[in-house]
Amino acid sequence: MTQEHDAKSDDDAIVQIRNLHKWYGPFHALKNISLDVRRGEKIVICGPSGSGKSTLIRCVNGLERYSEGRILANGHLVDHRSDHLRLICQEVGMVFQHFNLFPHLTVMENCTLALTRVRKIPKAEAIEVAQHFLERVRIPEHGNKYPSQLSGGQQQRVAIARSLCMRPKVMLFDEPTSALDPEMIKEVLEVMTGLAREGMTMLCVTHEMGFAREVADRIVFMDAGAIVEEAPPEEFFGAAKHERSRKFLSQLLH
Amino acid sequence: MSFLDVLSVIWSGFGVTAEVTLLSLAYGVPFALIFGILQFTTQGWCRHAATIVIEFWRSSPVIILLFVFYYALPLAGLTLQAMSVAALVLGLNIGGYGSQAVRAALQSLDRGQYEAGMAMGLTRIQTLMLIELPQALKAMVPTFVNLLIQLVKGTALVSLITLADMTYKAKSVAQMTFDPASAYMGLLLSYFIICYPLTILGRSLERRLAVAKEGGHV
Repeated sequence: MTQEHDAKSDDDAIVQIRNLHKWYGPFHALKNISLDVRRGEKIVICGPSGSGKSTLIRCVNGLERYSEGRILANGHLVDHRSDHLRLICQEVGMVFQHFNLFPHLTVMENCTLALTRVRKIPKAEAIEVAQHFLERVRIPEHGNKYPSQLSGGQQQRVAIARSLCMRPKVMLFDEPTSALDPEMIKEVLEVMTGLAREGMTMLCVTHEMGFAREVADRIVFMDAGAIVEEAPPEEFFGAAKHERSRKFLSQLLH
Repeated sequence: MSFLDVLSVIWSGFGVTAEVTLLSLAYGVPFALIFGILQFTTQGWCRHAATIVIEFWRSSPVIILLFVFYYALPLAGLTLQAMSVAALVLGLNIGGYGSQAVRAALQSLDRGQYEAGMAMGLTRIQTLMLIELPQALKAMVPTFVNLLIQLVKGTALVSLITLADMTYKAKSVAQMTFDPASAYMGLLLSYFIICYPLTILGRSLERRLAVAKEGGHV
């Protein structure tokens, strides 16, 4: 459980997490987490539920406050000053388990909202950008629909497009396929795999081990709020070092 | 005096009843929105202060507030017109209830909506105005229609501070004709004629919003 990270400051790291702790009251939710995400790197975080995976990535864009340690996101300290967080959130995209599309806005309005209100670019230009990314997630024809008129898989792809519109430097995925029916998981994973191929930096909490094996540069295995093991996928799936990881994998892969 | 004559006297007070109602809304709706939002978004002393103000207006009897504002404030050197007192007291009283509908509607939204707004770099106020409030307003509509009906009925009290509304007119008819039965029957009928369409409006709005929710349209 002690992650000995030497202090070599990795200039290439776009997200730097150092000695992070979080307590919910007496509950120690994150225990001394240190993790660097390099530019272009894809990291999959896995582990049993309650192990702190989601809490960890939610700390990166400030949705959760951490108690100790520090996080740098693209060079900005995540320090819970609202003006700093807004800057960080413009560079760090997030995709949620339950999509969190805005039900009162059309697909197009969902995608252009941050462009027009945060980036302050003209509406026509925002629509062009949004259309580009809707095409990229392969739903160019649904711009005028409302989220509730789309399937779960389509909604999650809209959510990905919405996030991409801001041209983030890093994408955080918080169990993006956990709320989807099995036949829709594939279409979302395909989009994510495509993104990975194009060099997007990704920090992804998921139980999709096939995706992890195919896409991840590193697998981070967490249990009880701590990083237990960090390894390239071949190593992690082939010969996990820790008993706890092996047990998790055996339950997952049957 | 025929029953129709009684009714026509009563309805000569409709203008005042309508004016009190509309002016009360002008106080009540902004009060409900501002204080409901304050209770939802703030913490600590600011939230406590908002709660105290809301609870003052919610937990005081309207009739006593009317008397105090109309008769006692002039002793402190502040004289308000009867119409202003009526609108202020009725409006803030109903606004106190309305603020709880606003707060409840905002609280009932999925927290993911707020998180998605913040995660894309919107400010707290933008998230509130562009994402949370538009959705919450829809959820509030049925409660607001109910409160509007409460308000119309509540305006009957303003006759006690000299305003010549429908109730005031009915009382004067009763005294003039020594026939309180038909005066108050007429008054009852008159309020029913005003409020019943409002309940129908409320129900149709509710239906429309329910359909909109399913289809996703506004």
